[in-house]
Amino acid sequence: MIKLYGSLVSRATRNLWMLEELGLDYEHVSLDWAKQENRSAAYLAINPAGKVPTLADGDATLSESLGINLYLAQKYGQGGLWPDDDAGRARCVQWSFWAGAELEPLAYGRIREFLFKKEPDRDQTLINDMAEQTGPLLDLMTLALDDNGFLAGDTFTVADLNVACVMEYLDRSGFDISGWPKVETWYKTTYGRSANQKIQDQRAPIAAEMMKRLQG
Amino acid sequence: MITLYGNDRSRATRNVWMLEELGVEYERNMVDHTKGEAKKDDFLKINPGAKVPALTDGDVVMFESLAINLYLAMTYGKGGLWPDDAAGQAACGQWTMFSATEVEPHTVGALIELIFKPEAVRDEAVAQACLAKLPPVLNVLETTLSDRDYLGGNSFTAADLNVACVVNSLNMIGFDFTPYPKMTAWVKACVARQG
Repeated sequence: MIKLYGSLVSRATRNLWMLEELGLDYEHVSLDWAKQENRSAAYLAINPAGKVPTLADGDATLSESLGINLYLAQKYGQGGLWPDDDAGRARCVQWSFWAGAELEPLAYGRIREFLFKKEPDRDQTLINDMAEQTGPLLDLMTLALDDNGFLAGDTFTVADLNVACVMEYLDRSGFDISGWPKVETWYKTTYGRSANQKIQDQRAPIAAEMMKRLQG
Repeated sequence: MITLYGNDRSRATRNVWMLEELGVEYERNMVDHTKGEAKKDDFLKINPGAKVPALTDGDVVMFESLAINLYLAMTYGKGGLWPDDAAGQAACGQWTMFSATEVEPHTVGALIELIFKPEAVRDEAVAQACLAKLPPVLNVLETTLSDRDYLGGNSFTAADLNVACVVNSLNMIGFDFTPYPKMTAWVKACVARQG
């Protein structure tokens, strides 16, 4: 049985979304970082860095949320979330790395400023710099979406899932993407898929409680 | 025919390493990003993001250096740089993502401030902040390599190439590797393959 470690207020939600898309049986092991459950000896044996999420699937044990999604798509989503053609697969890998290396530092930077800090502590220069760097990334996505409406071909793939689950941080930190209408439409369709909605519905009450603690 | 865009002053070198490992035929297009050539129309057709490296292979057109290496390994390195088993493939994906998101932001951050920028505008404090993030990350590699020769197990794969090319860049700034003996031996063994 596939096991996914990490709570609903961690990057584990990205993998829960993927597992739901694939319709796989899995066990979700929620680790509470407030209780340091990610530092227990049992968990450190699985992930020496104590980071979440981690996926265990038979002989394969791996970390890195976007890497886990690529693995799951390759193993269980052939011809669907993982396309059959070389060009489609190349784009799935490309966009997943683009999400992790280009988009996430900016998007997560906004989470740190807007959600983890109170207003007087925010770094407005950094916020402005990040906004300036985010524009060209959304321009690039607009060009990619022009062709077909999805990032890797004519259908929804791991490329779309891995970019949308990172773009979530722009959304949650109130970044206005209406200036990039193709991206906005794509994001709403992608992020609103029922597999993700199911996970987000489970997450909402836990996240609300966490935000109360952070901002309270 | 595979075409790799980007010269040896870009991350294209890590793709050259992969292409040579795989022994596939390819040609190079030495787009010089330092002279603004990545912003010219010819190249923007390949990567509208105006960044090198990029790669074309038949109808495949892609960017992101580490992603290019994974694509090449899974397409041309089956049973070798791209292992046959699920656990080995999982390791390739995980470690490549680790390299891109956990290691490279800090190595590149330090390199920019210590050697790439003109001396007058370098910020030593930023460089030191980047270097300070590295020990826990490099310790993950040290721990992993304590019971195996390569990141994915017994043989050299895309996981090793994609992490080693990033860690090795620290040699350009005289980084002190002594706290990480296993990792150091592994980087040397990997880099020696480049010839």
